[in-house]
Amino acid sequence: MGLQRGVAIIGAGMTRFHHKIHADKTGRDLFVEAALEAMTSVDNGIELRDIEALFIGNFSSDSFEHQGHVAALMADWLGLTPKAATRIEAACGSSGAALNIGVMAIASGLYDVVMVGGVEKMRTLTTEEVTDVLAMASDEVYEAAVGFTFPGLYAAMATAHFHRYGSTWEQLCAVSIKNHHNGSLNPKAQFQEEVIDIARRLGERRGMTFKDEMEFLRSPLNPVVAYPLRLFDCCPISDGAAVVIMASEEVARKFTDTPIYVRGIGQASDTMALHDREDLTTIRATRLAAQQAYRMAGIGPEDIDVADVHDCFTIAEVVATEDLGFFPKGEGGKAAEEGRTSLEGDKPINPDGGLKAKGHPVGATGAAMACEIFKQLRGEAGKRQVRDAEVGLIHNVGASGATVVVQIYGR
Amino acid sequence: MFTVKDYRDALAEGYLLASKCRRCGAVQLPPRPICPRCGSGDLESLKAPKRGRVAAYTVIHVPPSRFKGEEPYAVAIVELLEGIRVSGRMLDVSEADLKVGLEVEADVIKLGEEPLLCFRPLKRP
Repeated sequence: MGLQRGVAIIGAGMTRFHHKIHADKTGRDLFVEAALEAMTSVDNGIELRDIEALFIGNFSSDSFEHQGHVAALMADWLGLTPKAATRIEAACGSSGAALNIGVMAIASGLYDVVMVGGVEKMRTLTTEEVTDVLAMASDEVYEAAVGFTFPGLYAAMATAHFHRYGSTWEQLCAVSIKNHHNGSLNPKAQFQEEVIDIARRLGERRGMTFKDEMEFLRSPLNPVVAYPLRLFDCCPISDGAAVVIMASEEVARKFTDTPIYVRGIGQASDTMALHDREDLTTIRATRLAAQQAYRMAGIGPEDIDVADVHDCFTIAEVVATEDLGFFPKGEGGKAAEEGRTSLEGDKPINPDGGLKAKGHPVGATGAAMACEIFKQLRGEAGKRQVRDAEVGLIHNVGASGATVVVQIYGR
Repeated sequence: MFTVKDYRDALAEGYLLASKCRRCGAVQLPPRPICPRCGSGDLESLKAPKRGRVAAYTVIHVPPSRFKGEEPYAVAIVELLEGIRVSGRMLDVSEADLKVGLEVEADVIKLGEEPLLCFRPLKRP
């Protein structure tokens, strides 16, 4: 099935993602900031009255900020009332799921212009408390209760992947180093520093010197979080918001000469518990969501010029690039090590720094991916611009893969 | 219809409760109310075997608050029958010996009031 009518993104905006600079802001402050930037980015201008509905991805403002019902809150604070406002929750895939709902809302003919975004204000809690909240996205009874954490689930996938395919932790480090490099080129990224520069800075403080990134990554300055994953294999805890404005094909060109069209969408679910999956080295929902999106777009993985994939952990990027069909199963780590996923590689992945360096305010991540691909396909990505990018893909995952959303965009 | 309580009660009694579909024969651990393979609600109970092999594992160094102070601790996904896996705490194993394929046996220990599924290596290294 295709869409009943075409849908395009006409504007995109986001706050910087960060763990400190938003300390004095609440979720609503962040969302309004991102929404206003998205509105301002619309080439021919747009008014609040043009927005007919609001869809917001948010995982857990209830736990993080003691604030529920955030969609109505954001509509209120944006001056969008009485327009319909709905929150969508799918753990870290919340705003990816919201993007799909936004597309469907326009394709159905109900609305011509909608705002879709995501927000998460996480740094209200300590790391330990955030770990508790994120673990709620796994199966409480059968996974969290025996001691699994969110990093722990991806770490388990890594051990299975290493065992079956002979992939290595060193290959995961290549993902981290690459994403930090890309982040260093992105003014919205949480970490805008190469791993080697972080190594020098932290080393100097402790009177340690490192001859290269790997020596630093093997050192106690990169502690184990959940074996085999260390700190630099994990995305950070972040505050931030991201927003896109979507319009029907009919009205999109009124707002901009360069709308970015939604060519395909897909979404799939899988068992909540990782142990129930058919294959621990694959996220099946990624394969299925990608198949749907490729079919709708009438293209294949070889046609994707740039992709933002869900690298909540380095192993997640490796598995994603395989399951999306960019590389054969088991060869995602090798591809990263060979530089094929770098900005200059044949399949640039996470030009914005990915979750690893850009940051991961969980509910905002899918919308931030759409912001990045919007910029990439319009040639507005600055120093991190992928050359001649015409077709782009986003891949947003909820928790360990029980929800996956894929969207494909084209000029 | 199987509930979470059925599994927990069985665990407290020291065994692993699974469900088996009377229509298609698919086995689910923990037991489920509906067979995910064929959709049938006609399920019978089955005691899952206690021996299996580690399919994936991790060692948690940054724990959630409820397990604070226990770190580092190991957690494994163990395959008990082909395709039938469950998550449990790994006990009595060093980080060096913990590997995919390790043969293990299930046990249940008490963690406060709650029964906790755990596994120990079958052959002591």
